[in-house]
Amino acid sequence: MNSVDSLTGFLNRFGCFHTAMRLAAEATGNHQTFGVIWLDLDRFKQINESFGHLIGDEVIENLATRFRPCVFGRAEISRVGGDEFVLLAPGFNRDQAFQLAVELAGIVQEPLNIGSLTLRPTASIGVAIHEPNEDPLTLLERADHAMFAAKSKGGNNIVCSGDEPIPGRLGVTLAREELSIENTLHEALETGGFCLHYQPIIRADGTVEAVEALMRCKLNGENFSPMKFIPVAEKTGLIIRLGEFSLLQGAMHARALQDAGHETKVAINVSRAQLISPEFTRALHAALLCSNASPSLIELELTESLFMDISSTVQQNLKEIIATGVSLSIDDFGTGYSCLANLKDIPAQKLKLDRAFVTVLPEDHRALSVVQAVTQLGHALGMTIVAEGCENQQQIDVLLEAGVDAIQGFFYARPMPDKDLLPWLKQRSNKT
Amino acid sequence: MNLQMPTPTTVDLMVEKAVIDLGIPPCPVILKRFVTETRKEEPDYNRLSSIICADVSLSASLIKTANSPYFGTRQRVRSVNEALVILGLNIASRAVAGIILRKSFPTSPNMERFWDASSRFARLSGWLAQSFDSLGIPAEDAYTFGLFRDCGIPVLLKRLPSYSSVLNSANSEAKLDFTQVEDAVLPTNHAMVGCVLAQSWWLPEEICLAIRHHHDKSILSTTISPPPLFSRKLIAISQLAEHLVQQQLGLSLTQEWGKLGTTCLNLLDIDESQLEALTLEAAPLITANE
Repeated sequence: MNSVDSLTGFLNRFGCFHTAMRLAAEATGNHQTFGVIWLDLDRFKQINESFGHLIGDEVIENLATRFRPCVFGRAEISRVGGDEFVLLAPGFNRDQAFQLAVELAGIVQEPLNIGSLTLRPTASIGVAIHEPNEDPLTLLERADHAMFAAKSKGGNNIVCSGDEPIPGRLGVTLAREELSIENTLHEALETGGFCLHYQPIIRADGTVEAVEALMRCKLNGENFSPMKFIPVAEKTGLIIRLGEFSLLQGAMHARALQDAGHETKVAINVSRAQLISPEFTRALHAALLCSNASPSLIELELTESLFMDISSTVQQNLKEIIATGVSLSIDDFGTGYSCLANLKDIPAQKLKLDRAFVTVLPEDHRALSVVQAVTQLGHALGMTIVAEGCENQQQIDVLLEAGVDAIQGFFYARPMPDKDLLPWLKQRSNKT
Repeated sequence: MNLQMPTPTTVDLMVEKAVIDLGIPPCPVILKRFVTETRKEEPDYNRLSSIICADVSLSASLIKTANSPYFGTRQRVRSVNEALVILGLNIASRAVAGIILRKSFPTSPNMERFWDASSRFARLSGWLAQSFDSLGIPAEDAYTFGLFRDCGIPVLLKRLPSYSSVLNSANSEAKLDFTQVEDAVLPTNHAMVGCVLAQSWWLPEEICLAIRHHHDKSILSTTISPPPLFSRKLIAISQLAEHLVQQQLGLSLTQEWGKLGTTCLNLLDIDESQLEALTLEAAPLITANE
């Protein structure tokens, strides 16, 4: 049977498979690896349909000419379909195969002049490395599968077999590392691994303005950083559950503190995913009903990313939140997406200055000027101004001098577990 | 006494007391202890038994659950230890959660009927999941979902005086989704309240999502996540269980099967003839004296 592709002179599908069988046997015998690179041109069908098959063939011939010197002596190349090339690279490990794939992707992207046309093709590439005793067909399938994963990322991409996104428990496709984080999240959610810690916010007169509820995750004795789990929680939708957990726990704690004689406002962080959901206020009402907490003791801290886009759903949610009697504050103000033009659209009663302005005090006079200006602006809008991240008395002095109303930071207290908060509040109220 | 067991903090106890007084139960310490032990690599059955035995009525209820015909055991269970072995730790911990949930609400004849019905749907759901193992839904998940599915209802009945009449309207509504009737007059609905409660009781996300959407026809018939297919199948199993119970006992309290039945049968891949056979098979279980 003919094993050569007539257009390019490369091996065809049949030749490719036979070579793969030989290389797999050799690799197993010599205890060596070999790599497979599966390259598929993006939108090649469009080229054929728009310019005709002759132009399509010319594209393939041109690319084949470019590939030849690059792969010579390194890999066996074959054309296994209209716009699909497979390279079999003996002795290649994952890094070497990935490097060759990067070179090929670069070659494909060079502008291609055919007649008066200039085309800039791209390719999706899958890479797989032969595993000991692996059947060559399975190996080729893995490379093909990885190529599809690269294609589903929007093309012009390289994916190594094993790194393809896999559907997680909730049906959202994730990379391997993300999958293990998702599993940890589920385990923590099902074993009570999440809890809230509370950090007090202190007014200028020394009384407690509120406590901010901060989520902590501990699993099998180890702390699990929010930096790690929040992106996966956002991707999988679990962020909604974490947010609703905070709502209920925070509200229940506000109620318990009230019963213990401390009418302390609990500030609960709300994610963007929660607030853009039309179900948000139903969840808030559910938490209020279940906890029987007074809405006036609950404050919702909105992340600044909300400024990116205040949709009608968000506006409706904000309006309904205010109608329940729950108050709003804007967190981390002054960095990132903060936009003064949108400030007037958010009916918040409190503005929390980002720690970036605080940690550089008292030395940084320019930062102090920003603090003074934002404080004035906030006051003009009827807002309470809180400074986050205060660590020493000098910072507190300049902040209070600048008109800031309340302070949050390690200087007063670190975030503490719920069991420590009540004694802390008692001690504090004795002092003041 | 196991020294490693978490000791409830003052605020914990206060939260528990304050909220139980109001009829809304937070996750109880006894359940936390039980679940933490079952999650260990090698759970200690004696310790598990002693956690349950600390509460006499919980022990009795667990033994009764293990002797229910739905779990198909011929041998009569007499002790908590045997019940744990017969049920398996997964079902046992879910059963414990369900029993405590029920106990957390104040007793009244109406409530008793409500919980009896929930328990019946739950057990039949577990049995259905077992009968259709090709669905890939573990019986304990179907069972748990059945137990918790409507737990938002007693919360709302307790907290909102007007809820009783809303519930009647929603039960007799033949077109709109059940929760749409609630949403039209209330700021939240029983599916959302139940979901929030289930989340705080550490139930798996798929079960929480199923509780949240169990009346939502548009979500049930979609093929796009979320909620995952697993959650949609849980909903379908429990709706079928409710339909079979209502049909067998001559009760027709809700209009849900009329609205969701076809979608549920599609999700479960059951045709009319299979449904008939199933109805016959389930009948003795439903009417059995428990």
